Amino acid sequence: MGQKAFAAAILALLTIGIGSASAHHSVAGQFDNSKRTKITGTISKIDWINPHTYIYIDVKGDKGEVTTWRLESLPTAMLRKAGLTSELLIAGGATVTADALMARDGSAHLAWLLKLTYEDGHFFQLAGE
Amino acid sequence: MRAATTRVFFGLPVLLGCCLLMLSATAQNSNGPRLADGHPDFSGTWENGSGIDFVQPQQTGKSVCVFGCGGTPPPPETQGVVATPPGRPQYRPEFAARVADLAKRQVSEDPVLRCKAPGVPRIGPPDKIVQRPGEAVFLYDDVSGNFFRIVPTDGRPHIKDTEPSFLGDAVGHWEGDTLVVETVKFNTDTWLTDDGAFHTKDLRVVEKLRRTGADTLEWSATVYDPAVLSAPWQLAPRVERAAKLDMVEAAPCIEQSLSHMVDDTHHTNPR
Repeated sequence: MGQKAFAAAILALLTIGIGSASAHHSVAGQFDNSKRTKITGTISKIDWINPHTYIYIDVKGDKGEVTTWRLESLPTAMLRKAGLTSELLIAGGATVTADALMARDGSAHLAWLLKLTYEDGHFFQLAGE
Repeated sequence: MRAATTRVFFGLPVLLGCCLLMLSATAQNSNGPRLADGHPDFSGTWENGSGIDFVQPQQTGKSVCVFGCGGTPPPPETQGVVATPPGRPQYRPEFAARVADLAKRQVSEDPVLRCKAPGVPRIGPPDKIVQRPGEAVFLYDDVSGNFFRIVPTDGRPHIKDTEPSFLGDAVGHWEGDTLVVETVKFNTDTWLTDDGAFHTKDLRVVEKLRRTGADTLEWSATVYDPAVLSAPWQLAPRVERAAKLDMVEAAPCIEQSLSHMVDDTHHTNPR
C-alpha cells in the first residue's frame, strides 16, 4: 500500500472534499462534509500510526480550561512523501488553526483534518476543501 | 586474389553477424543489470503504481499542499464511479449472493480495514525487491504494515509443512527474462480485491515480473480458484517505476475509526 492502492477511492473522497488517506474506510461514513469547524490551539501530541494519523490540539477556553481535539488525518506514508514530520506539524508549540469536519456520530471533539494554518501564515493543506 | 576475395565475401557476413549479436546482447542488457547467473536483476525500490504514488505534494515556502491544491492529477474516479475499472473476478452464479452480501457489509467484513495483511494479489507489486541467484525477496510497505515474501527461484518445490497464511507460499522460475511466481497455501482471511471478493483455501496466484525499461518493471497476476470463480481472473498489468523514496519501517497499524462509522457507506478499495 505501498500504503497502498486505495488510491482511486482516496482521490474520489478528496475530490468531494472528504479526504481519506488510505481509503481505509469511507471518510464520508464517519465525518460530515456539511459540518465544518475551526479549532485554534497548540498541537500537544501526534499518533504517528496507520491507517490514519491523529493530531491532538489543545484549545484553551475563556477560563483557562483546556479541551483536547482529536483530528484524524492522512496515513504516515503520505505525510512522509509530503515531507511532513511530527516536528514540522507541532512547530515548536506554535498556535495553529485547524479546518476540520465534525464526526457524524456526535463525538464532541473528533474531526477530520483538512488544513493546518500557523500564526506566521504558512499552512499544510491535507485534504480537499 | 581470388582467395582473398572469397575470405572477404564470406568473412563480412560473419563479422556483421557477430556485430549484430553483440548489439543484440547489448540491447538486452541495456534494460537493466543481470545477476551472476544471467537472469535479470530486479533489485531496487519501486513505486508500484498504486497507493501513494499519485500523491504529488506542492511546496511553496514553508507551506505544503498535499491534496486540494489544484495541481493534483485528475482522479481515476469520482464519487465512486470508476473511470478505469480495475477489473474484478467473475464468480460462479451460485456465489453471486455471497459476494453481494459481503460487498454490502464491506465496512464490517473487509479484513484490510482491520489492519490484516491484504493477501495476494491485493497487496499488489512489491515495493522493494532484493534478489540474488536462486532467490528473490519481495518487500512491501503497506498501510497494514511491512510484509515480505521469499521467492525461491532455484527449482525447489512448495513447502509442504507450512500453515496456510495471508501471503501464501511462493516459488518462482524464469521464463526467458520473466520471473514467474506461483503462490499457494493461503488462508481464507483475505479478499482478492474489494467488494466481497472472497476466495477458498485452494487459491493459486501466478504473478509475472519483467523489466520493460532501465527504470520500469511490469507486474501482472492471474488468479485461479476454480471452485468459486467461473474463470481465472487476469489482473491488468501494472507498471512499477524506480522509486525516489526508499522504504522505511512502517508505522504500526492501529485501527481506531470503525467504531465511529455511522453507516456502511461503501469504500471503493480496488487494491
